Amino acid sequence: MAFRPSRKTSRPQPEQKNGTEKRRFFLAYPLERLRAWWDDRKENPLSWLEKSRNRLVYLGMGFLFLYGGVAIKALFATILAPMAPLPNQIGSSIPEIPHPDPRAMAGNGFVLPNIRRASIMDRNGQPLALSLPVVQVYANPMEIIEPEDVAKKLRTILPTLNVAETVRRLKQKKQFVYLARNIAPVDELAINNLGIPGLYFENGEQRHYPLGNVAAQILGSVDIDNKGIAGVEKFFNQRLMQDHTPLRLSIDARVQAAVRDELNEAKNLFRAIGASAILMDVHTGEILAMVSLPDYDANNFAHAADDARFNRAVTGMYEPGSTFKLQTAAMALQLKVAHPWDQFSTTPIHVGRFTISDLKTDHFAPWLALPSVMAYSSNPASAHIALDVGRERQHDWLKNMGFLDRVPVELPEAGRPLVPSIKNWGETTVMTVGFGHGVAESPLAIVRGTACTGNGGYLVTPTLLAREHLNDDVVMAEDQKGPHLISTENSNLLRRILRLVVTKGIGKKAESPGYLVGGKTGTAEKIGAHGGYLKHVNITAFTGMFPMNDPKYALYVMLDAPQGTAETHGWTTAGWIAAPTFSRIVTRTAPMLGLFPLDAARAQQLDDQLALPLTPSVPPGVRHPLGPGNDPGAVTVNRLAARHGAHHTH
Amino acid sequence: MSLKDFTVPRTARRLLRAEPNLRMFSRLWQINWFFVLLICCLAGVGYIALYSAGGGRAESFAQPQLIRFCFGLLMMLGVALASPRVLRLLSVPIYGLSILLLALVLKMGHVGKGAERWINLGGFQFQPSEFSKIALVLMLSTWFYRIGRERMGNPLRLIIPALLTLLPVVLVLKEPNLGTATIVGVIGASLFFAAGMRWWQIIILVSPLPFLGPFIYSHLHDYQKARIDTFLHPERDPLGAGYNILQSRIALGAGGRWGQGYLHGTQGQLSFLPEKQTDFIFTMIGEEWGYVGGAVVIGLLFLIMLSSMLIALRCRNRFGRLVGLGIAMDFFLYCVVNLSMVMGVIPVGGVPLPLISYGGSAMLTMMFGFGLLLSSWVHRDDPDY
Repeated sequence: MAFRPSRKTSRPQPEQKNGTEKRRFFLAYPLERLRAWWDDRKENPLSWLEKSRNRLVYLGMGFLFLYGGVAIKALFATILAPMAPLPNQIGSSIPEIPHPDPRAMAGNGFVLPNIRRASIMDRNGQPLALSLPVVQVYANPMEIIEPEDVAKKLRTILPTLNVAETVRRLKQKKQFVYLARNIAPVDELAINNLGIPGLYFENGEQRHYPLGNVAAQILGSVDIDNKGIAGVEKFFNQRLMQDHTPLRLSIDARVQAAVRDELNEAKNLFRAIGASAILMDVHTGEILAMVSLPDYDANNFAHAADDARFNRAVTGMYEPGSTFKLQTAAMALQLKVAHPWDQFSTTPIHVGRFTISDLKTDHFAPWLALPSVMAYSSNPASAHIALDVGRERQHDWLKNMGFLDRVPVELPEAGRPLVPSIKNWGETTVMTVGFGHGVAESPLAIVRGTACTGNGGYLVTPTLLAREHLNDDVVMAEDQKGPHLISTENSNLLRRILRLVVTKGIGKKAESPGYLVGGKTGTAEKIGAHGGYLKHVNITAFTGMFPMNDPKYALYVMLDAPQGTAETHGWTTAGWIAAPTFSRIVTRTAPMLGLFPLDAARAQQLDDQLALPLTPSVPPGVRHPLGPGNDPGAVTVNRLAARHGAHHTH
Repeated sequence: MSLKDFTVPRTARRLLRAEPNLRMFSRLWQINWFFVLLICCLAGVGYIALYSAGGGRAESFAQPQLIRFCFGLLMMLGVALASPRVLRLLSVPIYGLSILLLALVLKMGHVGKGAERWINLGGFQFQPSEFSKIALVLMLSTWFYRIGRERMGNPLRLIIPALLTLLPVVLVLKEPNLGTATIVGVIGASLFFAAGMRWWQIIILVSPLPFLGPFIYSHLHDYQKARIDTFLHPERDPLGAGYNILQSRIALGAGGRWGQGYLHGTQGQLSFLPEKQTDFIFTMIGEEWGYVGGAVVIGLLFLIMLSSMLIALRCRNRFGRLVGLGIAMDFFLYCVVNLSMVMGVIPVGGVPLPLISYGGSAMLTMMFGFGLLLSSWVHRDDPDY
């Protein structure tokens, strides 16, 4: 189609067949055709349209050619010759990316020769920490003949080498100077091949954390002698040095990175001084993500600030605030002190110079039923519930739930909670602990307690190790589950209450459509340098689970001293700060965990099953529900008020 | 052409063709809706990919991009209905504006990632180098339309369009943006070629090019040289300059036949892939959807290229054909340069994948270009005046 049909010149037949005719030149015929075409073109020049059409066709063929090349290249790049990292990259710094089934990698091990310390990987086999062979280059300047020449040659192999500095070192009157540290073995070979006398090598290994800031505080670091000095590196130091198979953590690097990303965004948005988040499997206790901000590049532990090294998730002790009301409700239900229909007074309680009251009381009824107490997070009502539980039983419950001891997790940094001793555990403590003040707990302890309320009542042991041979579908054996502290019925009820907080209560901003999240907000005022609570400087937290119809993961989010924005109307309480962050993390990580949002109809159906009235009616047959006129805690409250009141008047 | 007139029923077509001054509404009928559908499909792919690049959330990239696309679609349909005469009238001011913006960006541009490429236009960032491609296509088409065929043989007549081409090329080169400058140059050259430049002129112009290579290399910026070195030996500096290429190659390789699954690409979701929402989005597609997904995207891009080329061929007047070719060329170069860059065939330079990569300037200018293409389709049977 490129040429217009031209005059046909037929191939001339030889006139004589007896062979006297000279054989025609073999190009004669094509040349004739060309000539004819040329003449024709001169007689009838192509119109512009025809000519440009030809040219467009040429260009189109060029397109096709180039684009076909690209398509074939794509085929090579993905299937025929997938570009795995080149072998010498492993020597320098990039770890091999597990492919195609990362889980298989963890079993086979990823062991480099001549490496003493085992690598650490996430649950999917993504390397989190690994030692790589490195070489130090040193020289004996006395044996070097031409320093300039040596430096120039080295520069061809080590592009970052400072030639002037190297020359200066080589000219020193010494027996030993370092020229380059931590170079890759490939470069060692190349330098060796230069055949320069006077250059020597020293073998070593260097710990790399390929994910940088991701999971920095969990991994910790090693010192120059390859000994773990923080984090998992320290806790498992012996194991890593003796057993060369990689250590597989429960962390999912993708989830960890996503949680960190979201939390960091929230931290910057609300200008918080710190933040923490933990995502835990409620049935196995495996920690999938544990973030503490600010953080640091794990490869640069030595230069990290103390504040960045501090793991807020396990070392930081914060007053849990209202998130602790979940425990108060759990113990009251389990000890049959309270029932969903029981009502509690929200009247402010005066104890000495303290007043236990609610932030916004205007919409509170003077008496709230248990689901409303949780949904609206009433402090006096929680104090009443705690008083009804009583001092010993409250203390025992918290002891059993692990709130009074160091949280068991594979980190040397795990700290002890700050709790009053039993001697100092008076009635005032009972009341304040009832709504989460007067004790300071690590975020991990709070998540553990939350998981217990939603997983059927089993207290799991949080772990950073991946459970071997246990995928998501396998049900744990009864003896593996941990102590059964809350009955299944009460756990079901608590799940419905937590969902109610999000659908009707003050945790509405945590709603993540399709994931049926539930949880409890918690705002605690920070204690200032001189003691006493600081107004408007809050620790805001949200602890919750999803999906509430059958909880799989517990998530805790905490922001330290956030500042309000226009969108929060200046509020710095958990419902405005931590709850939306919780929602963002859920919607981002749930798909990675294999949970996809339910469609609206299905979600509504499940929500209807979970629904719980804010004020359940008293079932027939119950004689004396708690409520106006039947309030055992009132006696204590009145006594305390009278005593301190009398004291006050003096 | 097999694709000829596939949108409007034959009777309707005849009726419309009988009426030379089509009114606005009837012209709407004439738009190549199949082509519009292809574009929407491509933008849909972009939405899905950006949803994943945003970490399974629409708000980060997908949502704003979709809003821009809707805006771009309206603009495209508007431009499609514009008469070529109006476009020719506008070509000079548009070209002037593009040069002005390019100059402005050099003067007071916003520095991003080591180069001045963006300019702040009342709240949003704009990359004038994208816009200059379309402006150049319009300008050259108008020029070649005006001088007509016979005068193409006169080399003096080619000096002014050559200057018109070189001006934006040099300005973009100064930013510095080697990739886009090359693309602008190639688009200009292809218009010269299609407009009927004589073969002997072409040979004279092209023959010294191979000898210019070393000269150009010696005048490159250090970072550009480093890029070429890195491209040749990415494993030299795997954490620094070679990082882009290596991570991208690893990600593509990890995709395999079927990919790692939507929202499950290791490299992409872990934010190892640099620029995964912009220039390197194809890597993420390759990692998550594998070769099969990548092939679907490549096929879709090919269909759009083919259609735009056919539209240019079907156009029976000079201006429309040249504009169509210019736009087809622009789209094609975007795709080829981006894909080969991602696969490590050519050195890295900031060229996005059209309609899929996140970014406003590229999306809006591309849609404007498609509007011009559709305009030449709508007016395909207009005679040359």
